[in-house]
Amino acid sequence: MAGIYVYCDNDNLAAELLSFAKKEGQAVYALTFSQEAAEKIQDFGADKIYVIKGNCPVIESYGKAIAEFLKNQAADLFVVGATPRGRDIAARVAGYLNCGMVSDVLSARYTDGKVATEKMMYGGAAVQQVVLEGLSVITVPAGKFEAAESNSSAIETLSLEADNRVTLVETTPIKKEGVDLSLADKVICIGLGMEKKEDIRIAQGLADVLGAEIGCTRSIAEERHWLPVEQYIGISGAIIRPQLYLSLGVSGQVQHLAGIRDAKIIVAVDTNEKAPIFKAADYGIVGDMYEIIPLLTETLKNS
Amino acid sequence: MSKVIACYKWVIDEADMKINQDLSIDVRNAKSKVSDYDRNAIEAAVQVAKMLGGKAVALTFGTSKAKQSIKDVLSRGLDESFWLNAEEAANADNAVTANVLAAAIKKIEDVSLIICAEGASDTYARQTAPRIGAALDLPVITSVTNIAIQGEDLIAVRKLQDCLETVKVKLPAVVAVLPEIYKVPIPSLKAVLAAGKKPVTEYKPEELGIDLTPLAKAGQLKGYFMKRKNIILDQEDSATKAIELVKYLKKEGVI
Repeated sequence: MAGIYVYCDNDNLAAELLSFAKKEGQAVYALTFSQEAAEKIQDFGADKIYVIKGNCPVIESYGKAIAEFLKNQAADLFVVGATPRGRDIAARVAGYLNCGMVSDVLSARYTDGKVATEKMMYGGAAVQQVVLEGLSVITVPAGKFEAAESNSSAIETLSLEADNRVTLVETTPIKKEGVDLSLADKVICIGLGMEKKEDIRIAQGLADVLGAEIGCTRSIAEERHWLPVEQYIGISGAIIRPQLYLSLGVSGQVQHLAGIRDAKIIVAVDTNEKAPIFKAADYGIVGDMYEIIPLLTETLKNS
Repeated sequence: MSKVIACYKWVIDEADMKINQDLSIDVRNAKSKVSDYDRNAIEAAVQVAKMLGGKAVALTFGTSKAKQSIKDVLSRGLDESFWLNAEEAANADNAVTANVLAAAIKKIEDVSLIICAEGASDTYARQTAPRIGAALDLPVITSVTNIAIQGEDLIAVRKLQDCLETVKVKLPAVVAVLPEIYKVPIPSLKAVLAAGKKPVTEYKPEELGIDLTPLAKAGQLKGYFMKRKNIILDQEDSATKAIELVKYLKKEGVI
């Protein structure tokens, strides 16, 4: 059946994608891998939810089978949540269909068999418009569309054959050393302007008063190893959308800024008045964080 | 000897890009570089080739300008390099790029493993490895942070959103690695000098018989402009700045 097909391994994002697809006025079908996932997204207006039954625990291995299924259904568009698994499976499907695909769209509009999209380029420094025609694939990050409850969907089982060449040895849950920054309301970000690891304590003092979580730039996590890699903010790390983002000694490289552009208010503290972070900030203090942080902490405590 | 191929892209250094007042983009004075994460992929190819007792080779699809990249990548421990030279590379989409790379991989004999970075620093689309796998119908493993070889099997650890997943595959296969897999060493002077003497093979797209027309139609490219208030607190002393900032944040309703 023609229409927009949606898959995401994260239920909340799947609901956002269904609402997007529904809004575009097409028939909407969702793919899931469990009855439980299907039930979680049952009230978001899909015309039908397919529960894929197969014998492989690595869901990416269904890429080829999903491509064939979409072709047989005469699908118009395959919309996938931009998670690590989602991006993989989406690109595999696009590869097997040999069709166009846009990754991590900033926006998407589907009309007359074409999908008009925008995506980031050059680490977030530029925005590129891209149009896809015919059966195509897009991946969509969280927060681009609002999930809206709608009619309840029928659930149907779908048997697909997986490619069993990649076998699962084991799965270990990641022990989250830090918090999920993407959900944080306030974030303090540490950059290379901080002199030593012990000084994170000073930032933590400010974070405690503010009720903020601590994040960092890529260099702090990957070069200095001061904080876990899950805590770095940027295009290849955490994409955050807090009410308040406050940076300490962050220069503001474009890849970092790509991770904070949806913050409501951006505050920057850095010694270098020419640092690009100030152009991206709502409020800036040109100064030494070692002087500013205690003053700010005190002011907040007393206010 | 079996080959481990590292795919890489020669890209514009975004740090040199200028965004004009009208948001048009000026890259005339921009230098190019090996895409950042591709350097980690190249190091992974060098290390895995050692484990396999094979050769590590580079493969790129680029315009004539990509010629400059060859010495750079060969100084990073690779044995040989392959370059698909076509001006169409400048406008290629992910489908064309993967199809061209896949066609070249078919021509390069005795390939046991293809390693890509997750994404390129210009597009960061993260499509190439899965698409190459599809084009060659090879198994694919993405988001890889560790690779080990056990007999004929490759064991990979994948870093996903909430778990580490260890998977196994018989070679040949396609792998996309995360940058943390290997640190990128700085090439020694000896390696830089030796790079010029290593074999380079150039392919022309005619030899590959691949359609170079992009399926994704690229439209306008504009500089991204983030509209912000840009208020710099310029009170005389830092204590006043701190007080002013807290006032502003209260007014914004964010504290």
